[in-house]
Amino acid sequence: MQKRGAFAATLLSTLMLSGVAQAEYSAGDEIKVLQGFKAGGGSDALAQLTQPFLRESLGAEFINEYIPGAAGAIAWTRLAKQSPADGTVISITNTPMLATNYIMNDAINYSIDELTPIANVVTDPGIIVVPEDSPYQTVEDFFAAAEERPGEVTVGNSGVGGDDFFSTIMIEKATGLSFQKVPFQGDGPSATAALGGKIDASFNNLGNVYGHIQSGSLRPLAVFSRERLEVLPDVPTLVEKDIDVVAGSSRGYSAPAGIPEEARQELIAAFEGLKDNEEFQKVAQERAMNLDILTGDDYGQMMQDMEVQFEQIWADVKDEVNQ
Amino acid sequence: MENLVLVGLSNVLTFTNISLILGGTLLGLFVGAMPGLSATMALALLLPLTFSMDPATGLSMLAALYVGASYGGSIAAILLRTPGTPSAAATVLDGYPLSQQGQAGRALGISLFASFIGGTLSGIALLTAAPLLGVLVLEFGPIELFAIAVLGITIIGTLSQGSIVSGLLSGTLGLLVSTVGMDLVTGTPRMTFGILNLFSGVEFTVALIGLFSIPQALVLIENAHGTQKLASKITDKLIPSLRELRRLMPNILRSSGIGIVTGLIPGTGGDTASWFAYNEARRFAHDKSRFGKGDIAGVAAPEAANNAVVGGALIPTIALGIPGSSSTAILLGALMVQGILPGPNLLTDYGDVTYTLIWAVIFANIGLLLVGLMFTRLCVSVTRVPDSFVACAIITLCVIGSFAINNSLFEVGLMLGFGLFGYWMKKSDISPAPMVIGLILGPVMETSYQQSMLIGQGNLGIFLTSPIAVVLLCIAVLSVLQATPFFRWLRGAMRGRGQVE
Repeated sequence: MQKRGAFAATLLSTLMLSGVAQAEYSAGDEIKVLQGFKAGGGSDALAQLTQPFLRESLGAEFINEYIPGAAGAIAWTRLAKQSPADGTVISITNTPMLATNYIMNDAINYSIDELTPIANVVTDPGIIVVPEDSPYQTVEDFFAAAEERPGEVTVGNSGVGGDDFFSTIMIEKATGLSFQKVPFQGDGPSATAALGGKIDASFNNLGNVYGHIQSGSLRPLAVFSRERLEVLPDVPTLVEKDIDVVAGSSRGYSAPAGIPEEARQELIAAFEGLKDNEEFQKVAQERAMNLDILTGDDYGQMMQDMEVQFEQIWADVKDEVNQ
Repeated sequence: MENLVLVGLSNVLTFTNISLILGGTLLGLFVGAMPGLSATMALALLLPLTFSMDPATGLSMLAALYVGASYGGSIAAILLRTPGTPSAAATVLDGYPLSQQGQAGRALGISLFASFIGGTLSGIALLTAAPLLGVLVLEFGPIELFAIAVLGITIIGTLSQGSIVSGLLSGTLGLLVSTVGMDLVTGTPRMTFGILNLFSGVEFTVALIGLFSIPQALVLIENAHGTQKLASKITDKLIPSLRELRRLMPNILRSSGIGIVTGLIPGTGGDTASWFAYNEARRFAHDKSRFGKGDIAGVAAPEAANNAVVGGALIPTIALGIPGSSSTAILLGALMVQGILPGPNLLTDYGDVTYTLIWAVIFANIGLLLVGLMFTRLCVSVTRVPDSFVACAIITLCVIGSFAINNSLFEVGLMLGFGLFGYWMKKSDISPAPMVIGLILGPVMETSYQQSMLIGQGNLGIFLTSPIAVVLLCIAVLSVLQATPFFRWLRGAMRGRGQVE
């Protein structure tokens, strides 16, 4: 893959010749981006969205290295333990996966303390969808059914440890209800099972099911964002139903702990710059990516809050899941 | 609707698009021929290049690449006993013996024509039936998938050449290895020994490359100084006779059907389809004993099927936004990058781009026939190289291929481990094919079983609530009984009665 990297670099530098005058990134003119998932997936989509813009503001080349496996843990272990902390290596970090990985598995031993949070870029809010011929018209109907038949209403999620799995538990804890959780291998299969009426509902993410919602084949009951979403103004949030659950799947960038302060500030400034870059906003909207830019210490706080929250949840449900 | 179909056709018929389709097919052919580099990987690598292209052009090229790679896999399978792609694994069984008998040209020619027919038929199915067939996909949930996996597992019995016991042993080993990795329901890592690289399970391509290719390379080296003739050579004609094509036609049509249907079902792709088709070709054959020793039908079936998967897998992708295989998942990603949201509106709102993609699949198959006829001949050069060099080249390709999967050396070591194990299997006359089936279907079966149990509150009766599952499970039971003394007795009894009357 060395060769591919070199090829990509050549290609990118050729494209750059036409670029405008650029600021110089203090750590060097190349930044390696470790990706914990396969090329062509959601992380790659984020890279393709942001990196062309970052390249211009930082004046550095981005080289993607794909190291899939163990739900991203291989790449993040490499980032935390084996990468030079000089600002030349960063990684796309997915939350809550980043934290739940090591909370759930003793064999995974990096932690967010070994990272420098740079910026969160996108958050795909959680959503409850049901098939179009489902008897549940509102989220109240749905919860009432779960109350009537505890543990029998089937709810799909994207897999144990994913954001939907944890948001299901958060809702169970907040409402006192219990669902029959059915894990799938990713958001796509979970949505497909709901489309076919194989499960009563799918706890999913907006970006994955928006097309189906638009065409009417899936009905949204509630979103897990703090405020109602612009694209789905009629769909209530859980918060307004007095269920304090805000959840979603977020992706951003982090570096190893202890990178030079100058490099950290430059990276953060580059992401801050995206906030009022109109062209960036336009491209993100075209690709149905919900921007949620949160940089530096704010992103660090978000990670820490998540770690505390999910550690607690996992401690509570661990025995039930493993029985 | 009609209009969009024609708009798509005229979009494809431009000089740029046609030349990119030909280029994509050729590239796919090369990539497919390299062991370990699958169509999925090629698509992922080419994807960023299409970002700046016009949607129709980029998608046409990607579709052509997918079609090309589906055939390319058979070239290495036939000439080197090394499946170039996972879906060409079944082609090895009869393709390689044929090339050893000096009929490599015939095998490649049939493979090319079968691929062409399978691919074109699936393209036509895609064009005409996408909206109708798409709905069918939703009928396949965990319960139905489990039934498919069970039916698939019964193939192991048929594939055990020679001793049934050794075949079952090989199949069971495959199932066992497939349990490595994180448990779907509890998230607990199983048999990973704390090694992170094993958390997502044993990458099945790694096992495939090791089991088939390394033993072959080692055997080539063993015999390098002997007086044996070269492993394979294209001495005969590539273009098959009309008579032969006509004889194989029922087989090719049946296999194409299998390919289209298998492609339709999410979670199963070319790898599964080619084994299903191979098995059915054998079941329908008059003289079953020739299978595995170089029966041309054993080449036609999997090749028609794995190319037919392309169109089949695109049907749910286009009609519903549900990818039918890992390769189409990447194509779906390509659509998203172009600002086209996957979902049922692909056929309406974005109809012009979608129909361009469909036409591109059909034209890519025609391109494949041309490119294949020109390029396959070049493969002769592979066979002029002395065996020991070929062996080194195989091992090099295996190492590159297994590294490229996850960009990690761990997979290379794992592949070599499987290679040594495969070498021992070869020496002990145990076929690796059942092990591969176990590896492919094990995770499908386990996952769908666990999901079905959760949905059915732990009641096994859930499998009897789905008509599709019941039919598939009945076929599986028959398929098993067929191999037992009971069935032989039954057949004998029926024949006896027939004579009395």
